[in-house]
Amino acid sequence: MYIEKKWRVKKFITYVLLIVFTLFCVFPFFWMLLTSLKVRVDVIDPSVWIFKPTFENYKNVFEKRNLLFNIKNSVIVVSGTTVISLLLGTMAAYGFARFNFKRKENLAFWILSLRMLPPMAVVISFFVLGRLLRVLDTHLYLIIIYLSFNIPFTIWMMRGFIEDIPIEIEEAAWLDGCSRFEGFFKVILPLISPGLIATAIFCIIQSWNEFSLAFFLTTFNAKTVPTIVTAFLSVTGVLWGEMAAVGVVAIAPIVLFAFLVQKNLVRGLTFGAVKG
Amino acid sequence: MKKNRQYRIFIMPAALVLAAVVVFPTIFLYYISLTNYDLSIGWQAKKFVWFGNYAYLFTEDPLFWKSFLITFIFVISTVSAEFILGMLVALGLNKIQRGRRLLLSLIIIPMVCTPSIIALMWKLMLNTEYGVLNFLLRLIGLSNVNWLGMKMALPSVILVDIWEWTPFMVLMLFAALQSIPEEPLEAARVDGASNAQIFFYVKLPMMMRIALIAVILRLVDSFKIFDTIYALTQGGPGSATEVFSMRIFRIGFQHTNWIGRASAYAVIIILVLSPLFSKFTKLIKEDR
Repeated sequence: MYIEKKWRVKKFITYVLLIVFTLFCVFPFFWMLLTSLKVRVDVIDPSVWIFKPTFENYKNVFEKRNLLFNIKNSVIVVSGTTVISLLLGTMAAYGFARFNFKRKENLAFWILSLRMLPPMAVVISFFVLGRLLRVLDTHLYLIIIYLSFNIPFTIWMMRGFIEDIPIEIEEAAWLDGCSRFEGFFKVILPLISPGLIATAIFCIIQSWNEFSLAFFLTTFNAKTVPTIVTAFLSVTGVLWGEMAAVGVVAIAPIVLFAFLVQKNLVRGLTFGAVKG
Repeated sequence: MKKNRQYRIFIMPAALVLAAVVVFPTIFLYYISLTNYDLSIGWQAKKFVWFGNYAYLFTEDPLFWKSFLITFIFVISTVSAEFILGMLVALGLNKIQRGRRLLLSLIIIPMVCTPSIIALMWKLMLNTEYGVLNFLLRLIGLSNVNWLGMKMALPSVILVDIWEWTPFMVLMLFAALQSIPEEPLEAARVDGASNAQIFFYVKLPMMMRIALIAVILRLVDSFKIFDTIYALTQGGPGSATEVFSMRIFRIGFQHTNWIGRASAYAVIIILVLSPLFSKFTKLIKEDR
Protein backbone atom coordinates (compact mmCIF):
# COMPACT_ATOMS: atom_id res chain seq x y z
CA MET A 1 0.00 0.00 0.00
CA TYR A 2 2.71 2.45 1.03
CA ILE A 3 4.93 1.46 -1.88
CA GLU A 4 2.02 1.81 -4.28
CA LYS A 5 1.40 5.38 -3.07
CA LYS A 6 5.05 6.35 -3.25
CA TRP A 7 5.22 4.99 -6.76
CA ARG A 8 2.20 7.06 -7.77
CA VAL A 9 3.62 10.25 -6.33
CA LYS A 10 6.85 9.62 -8.19
CA LYS A 11 4.99 9.11 -11.45
CA PHE A 12 3.00 12.28 -10.89
CA ILE A 13 6.17 14.31 -10.32
CA THR A 14 7.72 12.79 -13.43
CA TYR A 15 4.75 13.91 -15.48
CA VAL A 16 4.80 17.41 -14.02
CA LEU A 17 8.50 17.85 -14.76
CA LEU A 18 8.15 16.48 -18.29
CA ILE A 19 5.27 18.82 -19.00
CA VAL A 20 7.24 21.80 -17.66
CA PHE A 21 10.13 20.89 -19.96
CA THR A 22 7.76 20.51 -22.91
CA LEU A 23 6.21 23.90 -22.23
CA PHE A 24 9.71 25.39 -22.16
CA CYS A 25 10.35 23.82 -25.59
CA VAL A 26 7.10 25.00 -27.13
CA PHE A 27 6.90 28.44 -25.58
CA PRO A 28 8.98 30.48 -28.08
CA PHE A 29 6.96 29.04 -30.96
CA PHE A 30 3.75 29.83 -29.12
CA TRP A 31 4.95 33.36 -28.33
CA MET A 32 5.86 33.91 -31.97
CA LEU A 33 2.38 32.83 -33.03
CA LEU A 34 0.82 35.11 -30.43
CA THR A 35 2.98 38.09 -31.41
CA SER A 36 2.19 37.63 -35.09
CA LEU A 37 -1.53 37.98 -34.36
CA LYS A 38 -1.24 41.08 -32.19
CA VAL A 39 -2.12 44.62 -33.19
CA ARG A 40 0.69 47.19 -33.30
CA VAL A 41 0.45 48.52 -29.76
CA ASP A 42 0.16 45.11 -28.13
CA VAL A 43 3.27 43.71 -29.78
CA ILE A 44 5.55 45.43 -27.28
CA ASP A 45 3.32 44.71 -24.31
CA PRO A 46 4.16 41.26 -22.89
CA SER A 47 1.26 41.40 -20.45
CA VAL A 48 -1.27 40.98 -23.27
CA TRP A 49 -2.04 37.28 -23.71
CA ILE A 50 -5.69 37.33 -24.63
CA PHE A 51 -6.81 39.63 -27.43
CA LYS A 52 -8.74 39.81 -30.67
CA PRO A 53 -6.40 38.41 -33.34
CA THR A 54 -5.54 40.43 -36.42
CA PHE A 55 -3.95 39.31 -39.69
CA GLU A 56 -2.52 42.76 -40.35
CA ASN A 57 1.08 41.57 -39.88
CA TYR A 58 0.65 38.74 -42.38
CA LYS A 59 -0.89 41.13 -44.88
CA ASN A 60 2.04 43.49 -44.43
CA VAL A 61 4.78 40.92 -44.91
CA PHE A 62 3.24 39.64 -48.10
CA GLU A 63 2.28 43.01 -49.55
CA LYS A 64 4.98 45.40 -48.35
CA ARG A 65 7.90 43.10 -47.68
CA ASN A 66 7.27 40.81 -50.60
CA LEU A 67 7.87 37.69 -48.55
CA LEU A 68 6.64 35.63 -51.48
CA PHE A 69 9.79 36.54 -53.40
CA ASN A 70 12.02 35.05 -50.68
CA ILE A 71 9.80 32.02 -50.40
CA LYS A 72 10.10 31.50 -54.14
CA ASN A 73 13.90 31.69 -53.87
CA SER A 74 13.92 29.21 -51.01
CA VAL A 75 11.64 26.82 -52.86
CA ILE A 76 13.82 26.92 -55.98
CA VAL A 77 17.02 26.33 -54.04
CA VAL A 78 15.61 23.68 -51.73
CA SER A 79 13.89 21.66 -54.43
CA GLY A 80 16.88 21.91 -56.78
CA THR A 81 19.40 20.71 -54.24
CA THR A 82 17.10 18.01 -52.87
CA VAL A 83 16.34 16.49 -56.26
CA ILE A 84 19.99 16.42 -57.35
CA SER A 85 21.14 15.06 -53.98
CA LEU A 86 18.59 12.27 -54.01
CA LEU A 87 19.49 11.27 -57.54
CA LEU A 88 23.28 11.26 -57.19
CA GLY A 89 23.28 10.27 -53.52
CA THR A 90 21.00 7.27 -53.92
CA MET A 91 23.02 5.97 -56.87
CA ALA A 92 26.22 6.28 -54.86
CA ALA A 93 24.51 4.71 -51.85
CA TYR A 94 23.63 1.71 -54.01
CA GLY A 95 27.26 1.48 -55.09
CA PHE A 96 28.40 1.43 -51.46
CA ALA A 97 25.71 -0.99 -50.35
CA ARG A 98 25.99 -3.58 -53.09
CA PHE A 99 29.55 -3.61 -54.40
CA ASN A 100 32.87 -4.40 -52.89
CA PHE A 101 35.89 -2.49 -54.01
CA LYS A 102 39.24 -1.41 -52.74
CA ARG A 103 39.20 1.24 -50.02
CA LYS A 104 35.42 1.36 -50.12
CA GLU A 105 35.05 2.05 -46.42
CA ASN A 106 37.75 4.71 -46.46
CA LEU A 107 35.86 6.58 -49.15
CA ALA A 108 32.54 6.11 -47.39
CA PHE A 109 33.84 7.41 -44.08
CA TRP A 110 35.57 10.31 -45.72
CA ILE A 111 32.18 11.25 -47.18
CA LEU A 112 30.60 10.89 -43.75
CA SER A 113 33.13 13.28 -42.22
CA LEU A 114 32.23 15.92 -44.81
CA ARG A 115 28.86 16.29 -43.23
CA MET A 116 30.55 17.77 -40.18
CA LEU A 117 32.60 20.39 -42.00
CA PRO A 118 31.77 23.82 -40.57
CA PRO A 119 30.03 26.04 -43.14
CA MET A 120 32.05 28.96 -41.85
CA ALA A 121 35.23 27.19 -42.89
CA VAL A 122 34.26 26.68 -46.52
CA VAL A 123 32.10 29.74 -47.04
CA ILE A 124 35.15 31.93 -47.59
CA SER A 125 36.28 29.81 -50.54
CA PHE A 126 32.76 29.73 -51.91
CA PHE A 127 32.56 33.48 -51.59
CA VAL A 128 35.89 34.21 -53.28
CA LEU A 129 35.25 31.63 -56.01
CA GLY A 130 31.76 32.99 -56.58
CA ARG A 131 33.15 36.49 -56.90
CA LEU A 132 35.79 35.42 -59.41
CA LEU A 133 33.28 33.40 -61.43
CA ARG A 134 30.58 36.06 -61.06
CA VAL A 135 27.98 33.59 -59.82
CA LEU A 136 27.24 35.09 -56.41
CA ASP A 137 23.59 35.71 -55.68
CA THR A 138 22.29 33.10 -58.12
CA HIS A 139 19.99 30.19 -57.36
CA LEU A 140 22.20 27.72 -59.18
CA TYR A 141 25.30 28.53 -57.12
CA LEU A 142 23.40 28.01 -53.88
CA ILE A 143 21.90 24.77 -55.19
CA ILE A 144 25.35 23.42 -56.04
CA ILE A 145 26.87 24.48 -52.74
CA TYR A 146 24.08 22.92 -50.72
CA LEU A 147 25.02 19.63 -52.38
CA SER A 148 28.13 19.69 -50.19
CA PHE A 149 26.07 18.68 -47.17
CA ASN A 150 23.04 17.07 -48.79
CA ILE A 151 24.89 14.49 -50.90
CA PRO A 152 26.94 13.05 -48.00
CA PHE A 153 23.78 12.92 -45.93
CA THR A 154 21.79 11.17 -48.68
CA ILE A 155 24.53 8.64 -49.32
CA TRP A 156 24.64 7.56 -45.70
CA MET A 157 20.90 7.53 -45.15
CA MET A 158 20.14 5.63 -48.33
CA ARG A 159 23.00 3.20 -47.85
CA GLY A 160 21.31 2.07 -44.65
CA PHE A 161 17.91 1.76 -46.28
CA ILE A 162 19.32 -0.23 -49.23
CA GLU A 163 21.28 -2.55 -46.95
CA ASP A 164 18.03 -3.28 -45.12
CA ILE A 165 16.72 -4.93 -48.28
CA PRO A 166 17.86 -8.54 -48.71
CA ILE A 167 20.06 -9.00 -51.76
CA GLU A 168 18.16 -12.20 -52.70
CA ILE A 169 15.27 -10.12 -54.02
CA GLU A 170 17.61 -8.42 -56.43
CA GLU A 171 19.35 -11.63 -57.39
CA ALA A 172 16.03 -13.09 -58.42
CA ALA A 173 15.52 -10.15 -60.75
CA TRP A 174 18.97 -10.65 -62.28
CA LEU A 175 18.14 -14.30 -62.91
CA ASP A 176 15.05 -13.11 -64.76
CA GLY A 177 17.37 -11.21 -67.08
CA CYS A 178 17.37 -7.78 -65.49
CA SER A 179 20.61 -5.80 -65.73
CA ARG A 180 22.07 -4.13 -62.65
CA PHE A 181 20.44 -0.84 -63.65
CA GLU A 182 17.06 -2.36 -64.39
CA GLY A 183 17.26 -4.17 -61.08
CA PHE A 184 18.05 -0.91 -59.33
CA PHE A 185 15.18 1.00 -60.91
CA LYS A 186 12.55 -1.72 -61.01
CA VAL A 187 13.23 -3.65 -57.81
CA ILE A 188 15.22 -1.54 -55.37
CA LEU A 189 13.75 1.88 -56.01
CA PRO A 190 10.13 0.96 -55.24
CA LEU A 191 11.22 -0.83 -52.06
CA ILE A 192 13.27 2.05 -50.72
CA SER A 193 10.73 4.74 -51.52
CA PRO A 194 9.68 5.27 -47.87
CA GLY A 195 13.34 5.80 -46.99
CA LEU A 196 13.72 8.05 -49.99
CA ILE A 197 10.84 10.22 -48.87
CA ALA A 198 12.21 10.46 -45.34
CA THR A 199 15.64 11.41 -46.67
CA ALA A 200 14.09 13.99 -48.98
CA ILE A 201 12.27 15.59 -46.07
CA PHE A 202 15.49 15.80 -44.07
CA CYS A 203 17.24 17.44 -47.03
CA ILE A 204 14.36 19.89 -47.32
CA ILE A 205 14.45 20.78 -43.62
CA GLN A 206 18.18 21.34 -43.44
CA SER A 207 18.34 23.28 -46.70
CA TRP A 208 15.33 25.40 -45.81
CA ASN A 209 16.84 26.29 -42.43
CA GLU A 210 20.37 26.93 -43.72
CA PHE A 211 21.52 30.45 -42.91
CA SER A 212 25.32 30.91 -42.97
CA LEU A 213 25.97 30.01 -46.60
CA ALA A 214 22.91 31.82 -47.93
CA PHE A 215 23.81 34.87 -45.88
CA PHE A 216 27.28 35.19 -47.41
CA LEU A 217 26.50 34.11 -50.95
CA THR A 218 23.31 36.01 -51.72
CA THR A 219 22.55 39.71 -51.63
CA PHE A 220 19.22 40.23 -53.28
CA ASN A 221 18.15 38.05 -56.21
CA ALA A 222 18.54 34.71 -54.51
CA LYS A 223 17.97 35.76 -50.88
CA THR A 224 16.29 32.88 -49.06
CA VAL A 225 13.81 33.02 -46.18
CA PRO A 226 16.24 32.55 -43.22
CA THR A 227 18.30 35.54 -44.37
CA ILE A 228 15.32 37.85 -43.95
CA VAL A 229 16.42 38.26 -40.35
CA THR A 230 19.11 40.68 -41.55
CA ALA A 231 16.34 43.13 -42.43
CA PHE A 232 14.93 42.91 -38.91
CA LEU A 233 18.13 43.01 -36.89
CA SER A 234 17.69 46.55 -35.70
CA VAL A 235 13.95 46.30 -35.29
CA THR A 236 12.19 48.27 -32.66
CA GLY A 237 8.59 48.26 -31.56
CA VAL A 238 5.91 47.44 -34.05
CA LEU A 239 8.05 45.61 -36.60
CA TRP A 240 8.28 42.64 -34.24
CA GLY A 241 4.76 41.71 -35.27
CA GLU A 242 5.84 41.42 -38.89
CA MET A 243 8.95 39.48 -37.92
CA ALA A 244 6.82 37.04 -36.00
CA ALA A 245 4.53 36.63 -39.01
CA VAL A 246 7.54 35.84 -41.21
CA GLY A 247 8.63 33.34 -38.58
CA VAL A 248 5.30 31.54 -38.51
CA VAL A 249 5.16 31.32 -42.30
CA ALA A 250 8.75 30.03 -42.44
CA ILE A 251 8.66 27.62 -39.53
CA ALA A 252 5.14 26.12 -39.45
CA PRO A 253 5.55 24.03 -42.64
CA ILE A 254 8.94 22.77 -41.46
CA VAL A 255 7.51 21.65 -38.15
CA LEU A 256 4.80 19.75 -40.01
CA PHE A 257 7.44 18.11 -42.19
CA ALA A 258 9.34 17.11 -39.07
CA PHE A 259 6.27 15.38 -37.64
CA LEU A 260 6.11 13.32 -40.83
CA VAL A 261 9.61 11.94 -40.34
CA GLN A 262 9.45 11.61 -36.58
CA LYS A 263 9.86 7.86 -36.82
CA ASN A 264 13.13 8.28 -38.68
CA LEU A 265 14.34 11.30 -36.76
CA VAL A 266 17.10 9.57 -34.80
CA ARG A 267 18.32 7.91 -37.96
CA GLY A 268 18.31 11.21 -39.80
CA LEU A 269 20.08 13.11 -37.05
CA THR A 270 22.94 10.62 -37.03
CA PHE A 271 23.22 10.10 -40.80
CA GLY A 272 21.89 6.59 -40.51
CA ALA A 273 24.43 5.62 -37.85
CA VAL A 274 21.81 4.94 -35.19
CA LYS A 275 18.72 3.21 -36.48
CA GLY A 276 16.61 4.37 -33.52
CA MET B 1 35.32 -8.99 -63.61
CA LYS B 2 32.91 -6.84 -65.54
CA LYS B 3 30.58 -6.52 -62.59
CA ASN B 4 33.35 -5.31 -60.35
CA ARG B 5 33.78 -2.16 -62.34
CA GLN B 6 30.13 -1.22 -62.45
CA TYR B 7 30.32 0.41 -59.04
CA ARG B 8 32.11 3.32 -60.65
CA ILE B 9 29.06 4.29 -62.66
CA PHE B 10 27.03 4.45 -59.47
CA ILE B 11 29.58 6.27 -57.35
CA MET B 12 31.38 8.51 -59.82
CA PRO B 13 28.75 11.27 -60.29
CA ALA B 14 28.40 11.92 -56.57
CA ALA B 15 32.16 11.63 -56.03
CA LEU B 16 32.89 14.16 -58.76
CA VAL B 17 30.39 16.65 -57.39
CA LEU B 18 31.84 16.29 -53.90
CA ALA B 19 35.34 16.79 -55.26
CA ALA B 20 34.17 20.00 -56.90
CA VAL B 21 32.16 21.41 -53.99
CA VAL B 22 34.21 20.20 -51.06
CA VAL B 23 37.74 19.09 -51.91
CA PHE B 24 38.59 21.92 -54.24
CA PRO B 25 37.18 24.70 -52.01
CA THR B 26 39.01 23.26 -48.99
CA ILE B 27 42.33 23.26 -50.82
CA PHE B 28 41.53 26.73 -52.08
CA LEU B 29 40.90 27.83 -48.48
CA TYR B 30 44.35 26.62 -47.40
CA TYR B 31 45.80 28.54 -50.32
CA ILE B 32 43.99 31.81 -49.48
CA SER B 33 45.08 31.48 -45.87
CA LEU B 34 48.69 31.83 -47.09
CA THR B 35 48.00 35.10 -48.93
CA ASN B 36 47.19 38.63 -47.85
CA TYR B 37 44.03 38.69 -50.00
CA ASP B 38 41.75 41.52 -49.00
CA LEU B 39 38.37 42.29 -50.57
CA SER B 40 39.39 45.90 -51.07
CA ILE B 41 42.57 45.16 -53.08
CA GLY B 42 41.33 42.74 -55.72
CA TRP B 43 42.44 39.23 -56.56
CA GLN B 44 45.41 40.08 -58.78
CA ALA B 45 47.04 42.37 -56.22
CA LYS B 46 47.29 39.78 -53.46
CA LYS B 47 50.66 38.56 -52.27
CA PHE B 48 51.89 35.29 -50.88
CA VAL B 49 52.71 35.76 -47.20
CA TRP B 50 53.32 32.12 -46.19
CA PHE B 51 52.37 31.74 -42.54
CA GLY B 52 52.11 35.45 -41.92
CA ASN B 53 48.38 35.28 -41.23
CA TYR B 54 48.82 32.53 -38.68
CA ALA B 55 51.64 34.43 -37.00
CA TYR B 56 49.38 37.47 -36.86
CA LEU B 57 46.53 35.53 -35.25
CA PHE B 58 48.67 33.92 -32.60
CA THR B 59 50.76 36.92 -31.68
CA GLU B 60 49.07 40.17 -32.65
CA ASP B 61 45.31 39.66 -32.99
CA PRO B 62 43.99 40.77 -29.59
CA LEU B 63 40.74 38.86 -30.03
CA PHE B 64 42.06 35.50 -31.21
CA TRP B 65 42.55 33.94 -27.78
CA LYS B 66 39.51 35.73 -26.43
CA SER B 67 37.25 34.28 -29.12
CA PHE B 68 38.85 30.90 -28.50
CA LEU B 69 37.98 31.18 -24.82
CA ILE B 70 34.42 32.35 -25.54
CA THR B 71 33.92 29.45 -27.95
CA PHE B 72 35.33 27.05 -25.37
CA ILE B 73 32.99 28.33 -22.63
CA PHE B 74 30.07 28.22 -25.04
CA VAL B 75 30.74 24.68 -26.25
CA ILE B 76 31.45 23.16 -22.83
CA SER B 77 28.49 24.76 -21.08
CA THR B 78 25.95 24.09 -23.81
CA VAL B 79 26.91 20.48 -24.44
CA SER B 80 27.18 19.50 -20.78
CA ALA B 81 23.91 21.20 -19.85
CA GLU B 82 22.17 19.65 -22.84
CA PHE B 83 23.52 16.23 -21.96
CA ILE B 84 22.47 16.34 -18.31
CA LEU B 85 19.07 17.88 -18.97
CA GLY B 86 18.54 15.59 -21.96
CA MET B 87 19.39 12.55 -19.85
CA LEU B 88 16.93 13.52 -17.12
CA VAL B 89 14.12 14.06 -19.62
CA ALA B 90 14.94 10.83 -21.45
CA LEU B 91 14.86 8.89 -18.17
CA GLY B 92 11.52 10.51 -17.37
CA LEU B 93 10.09 9.61 -20.75
CA ASN B 94 11.33 6.08 -20.31
CA LYS B 95 9.33 5.79 -17.10
CA ILE B 96 5.97 6.80 -18.51
CA GLN B 97 3.74 5.23 -21.13
CA ARG B 98 0.69 7.40 -21.65
CA GLY B 99 1.20 10.66 -23.55
CA ARG B 100 4.80 9.85 -24.41
CA ARG B 101 4.34 10.16 -28.16
CA LEU B 102 2.64 13.52 -27.83
CA LEU B 103 5.34 14.89 -25.54
CA LEU B 104 8.07 13.66 -27.87
CA SER B 105 6.39 15.31 -30.86
CA LEU B 106 6.26 18.64 -29.07
CA ILE B 107 9.79 18.35 -27.70
CA ILE B 108 11.34 18.12 -31.16
CA ILE B 109 9.94 21.50 -32.23
CA PRO B 110 12.90 23.67 -31.12
CA MET B 111 15.48 21.79 -33.15
CA VAL B 112 13.61 21.96 -36.44
CA CYS B 113 12.77 25.67 -36.19
CA THR B 114 14.81 27.83 -38.57
CA PRO B 115 17.61 28.85 -36.15
CA SER B 116 18.16 32.38 -37.42
CA ILE B 117 14.47 33.25 -37.29
CA ILE B 118 13.65 31.66 -33.95
CA ALA B 119 16.76 33.30 -32.48
CA LEU B 120 15.30 36.65 -33.48
CA MET B 121 12.12 35.73 -31.63
CA TRP B 122 14.30 35.00 -28.62
CA LYS B 123 15.75 38.46 -29.01
CA LEU B 124 12.23 39.82 -28.60
CA MET B 125 11.54 37.56 -25.63
CA LEU B 126 14.81 38.61 -23.98
CA ASN B 127 14.23 42.32 -24.50
CA THR B 128 14.68 44.26 -21.25
CA GLU B 129 11.57 46.44 -21.47
CA TYR B 130 9.05 44.52 -23.53
CA GLY B 131 10.38 40.98 -23.42
CA VAL B 132 8.12 38.31 -22.03
CA LEU B 133 10.89 36.79 -19.92
CA ASN B 134 11.30 39.90 -17.81
CA PHE B 135 7.52 40.17 -17.64
CA LEU B 136 7.37 36.68 -16.12
CA LEU B 137 10.21 37.57 -13.73
CA ARG B 138 8.33 40.66 -12.59
CA LEU B 139 5.24 38.55 -12.13
CA ILE B 140 7.01 36.43 -9.52
CA GLY B 141 8.46 39.49 -7.89
CA LEU B 142 11.96 39.59 -9.34
CA SER B 143 13.53 42.58 -11.03
CA ASN B 144 14.37 43.06 -14.71
CA VAL B 145 17.47 41.43 -16.12
CA ASN B 146 19.39 43.02 -18.99
CA TRP B 147 19.64 39.71 -20.84
CA LEU B 148 21.60 40.87 -23.85
CA GLY B 149 23.80 43.33 -21.95
CA MET B 150 27.52 42.95 -21.37
CA LYS B 151 27.26 40.60 -18.42
CA MET B 152 24.39 38.36 -19.44
CA ALA B 153 24.84 38.16 -23.23
CA LEU B 154 26.94 35.00 -23.24
CA PRO B 155 24.74 33.15 -20.70
CA SER B 156 21.67 34.19 -22.74
CA VAL B 157 23.15 32.86 -25.95
CA ILE B 158 23.99 29.66 -24.10
CA LEU B 159 20.41 29.47 -22.82
CA VAL B 160 19.00 29.74 -26.34
CA ASP B 161 21.32 26.99 -27.55
CA ILE B 162 20.26 24.78 -24.65
CA TRP B 163 16.64 25.41 -25.55
CA GLU B 164 17.28 24.56 -29.17
CA TRP B 165 19.40 21.43 -28.80
CA THR B 166 18.45 19.69 -25.55
CA PRO B 167 15.65 18.02 -27.58
CA PHE B 168 18.35 16.42 -29.72
CA MET B 169 19.94 14.87 -26.63
CA VAL B 170 16.52 13.79 -25.35
CA LEU B 171 15.77 12.02 -28.60
CA MET B 172 19.15 10.31 -28.85
CA LEU B 173 19.35 9.25 -25.21
CA PHE B 174 15.75 8.09 -25.21
CA ALA B 175 16.52 5.92 -28.25
CA ALA B 176 19.54 4.57 -26.38
CA LEU B 177 17.46 3.77 -23.30
CA GLN B 178 14.86 2.02 -25.40
CA SER B 179 17.50 -0.19 -27.01
CA ILE B 180 18.61 -1.63 -23.64
CA PRO B 181 17.26 -5.16 -23.25
CA GLU B 182 15.18 -5.99 -20.17
CA GLU B 183 17.26 -8.97 -18.89
CA PRO B 184 20.34 -7.20 -17.46
CA LEU B 185 18.11 -4.67 -15.71
CA GLU B 186 16.05 -7.51 -14.26
CA ALA B 187 19.19 -9.33 -13.16
CA ALA B 188 20.53 -6.21 -11.45
CA ARG B 189 17.23 -5.70 -9.63
CA VAL B 190 17.19 -9.30 -8.44
CA ASP B 191 20.71 -8.78 -7.11
CA GLY B 192 19.34 -5.86 -5.09
CA ALA B 193 20.93 -2.98 -6.96
CA SER B 194 19.56 0.48 -6.19
CA ASN B 195 18.14 2.68 -8.94
CA ALA B 196 21.28 4.81 -8.96
CA GLN B 197 23.45 1.71 -9.21
CA ILE B 198 21.37 0.37 -12.06
CA PHE B 199 21.71 3.66 -13.87
CA PHE B 200 25.46 4.07 -13.46
CA TYR B 201 26.56 0.44 -13.77
CA VAL B 202 24.05 -1.06 -16.18
CA LYS B 203 22.19 1.56 -18.20
CA LEU B 204 24.93 4.12 -18.72
CA PRO B 205 27.53 1.67 -20.07
CA MET B 206 24.95 0.22 -22.44
CA MET B 207 24.01 3.68 -23.69
CA MET B 208 27.62 4.68 -24.14
CA ARG B 209 27.94 4.34 -27.87
CA ILE B 210 24.85 6.32 -28.83
CA ALA B 211 25.54 8.85 -26.08
CA LEU B 212 29.05 9.36 -27.40
CA ILE B 213 27.79 9.86 -30.94
CA ALA B 214 25.27 12.40 -29.65
CA VAL B 215 27.89 14.28 -27.65
CA ILE B 216 30.35 14.42 -30.53
CA LEU B 217 27.72 15.69 -32.94
CA ARG B 218 26.73 18.37 -30.46
CA LEU B 219 30.35 19.34 -29.78
CA VAL B 220 30.98 19.85 -33.48
CA ASP B 221 27.73 21.73 -34.11
CA SER B 222 28.12 23.88 -31.03
CA PHE B 223 31.63 24.81 -32.15
CA LYS B 224 30.28 25.80 -35.56
CA ILE B 225 27.50 28.03 -34.28
CA PHE B 226 26.88 31.18 -36.27
CA ASP B 227 23.24 31.87 -37.17
CA THR B 228 21.79 31.91 -33.65
CA ILE B 229 24.47 34.26 -32.36
CA TYR B 230 24.28 36.44 -35.44
CA ALA B 231 20.55 36.98 -34.96
CA LEU B 232 20.78 37.45 -31.20
CA THR B 233 23.83 39.64 -30.61
CA GLN B 234 25.99 39.75 -33.76
CA GLY B 235 28.91 38.92 -31.48
CA GLY B 236 28.26 41.85 -29.19
CA PRO B 237 27.98 43.77 -27.05
CA GLY B 238 31.60 44.61 -27.83
CA SER B 239 33.01 41.16 -28.36
CA ALA B 240 31.21 39.45 -25.48
CA THR B 241 29.68 36.73 -27.64
CA GLU B 242 32.24 36.68 -30.41
CA VAL B 243 32.67 32.95 -30.94
CA PHE B 244 35.04 31.61 -33.58
CA SER B 245 32.62 31.73 -36.53
CA MET B 246 31.57 35.21 -35.54
CA ARG B 247 35.22 36.27 -35.45
CA ILE B 248 35.68 34.96 -38.99
CA PHE B 249 32.70 36.98 -40.13
CA ARG B 250 33.87 40.15 -38.45
CA ILE B 251 37.49 39.97 -39.52
CA GLY B 252 36.73 38.89 -43.08
CA PHE B 253 33.53 40.66 -43.96
CA GLN B 254 32.16 43.10 -41.44
CA HIS B 255 34.81 45.24 -39.77
CA THR B 256 37.79 44.59 -41.99
CA ASN B 257 38.04 42.80 -45.31
CA TRP B 258 40.98 40.59 -44.40
CA ILE B 259 39.96 37.44 -46.21
CA GLY B 260 43.44 35.96 -45.85
CA ARG B 261 43.37 36.20 -42.08
CA ALA B 262 39.78 35.00 -41.89
CA SER B 263 40.81 31.95 -43.92
CA ALA B 264 43.57 31.21 -41.44
CA TYR B 265 40.89 31.21 -38.72
CA ALA B 266 38.79 28.85 -40.80
CA VAL B 267 41.72 26.46 -41.28
CA ILE B 268 42.25 26.45 -37.51
CA ILE B 269 38.58 25.50 -37.01
CA ILE B 270 38.99 22.54 -39.33
CA LEU B 271 42.16 21.44 -37.53
CA VAL B 272 40.56 21.75 -34.10
CA LEU B 273 37.51 19.74 -35.16
CA SER B 274 39.22 16.99 -37.13
CA PRO B 275 39.99 14.75 -34.12
CA LEU B 276 36.26 14.82 -33.37
CA PHE B 277 35.49 13.90 -36.96
CA SER B 278 37.73 10.87 -36.83
CA LYS B 279 36.46 9.77 -33.42
CA PHE B 280 32.93 9.96 -34.80
CA THR B 281 33.71 7.92 -37.91
CA LYS B 282 35.58 5.38 -35.78
CA LEU B 283 32.54 4.90 -33.56
CA ILE B 284 30.34 4.25 -36.54
CA LYS B 285 32.93 2.00 -38.18
CA GLU B 286 32.99 -0.25 -35.09
CA ASP B 287 29.28 -0.65 -35.42
CA ARG B 288 29.29 -1.83 -39.01
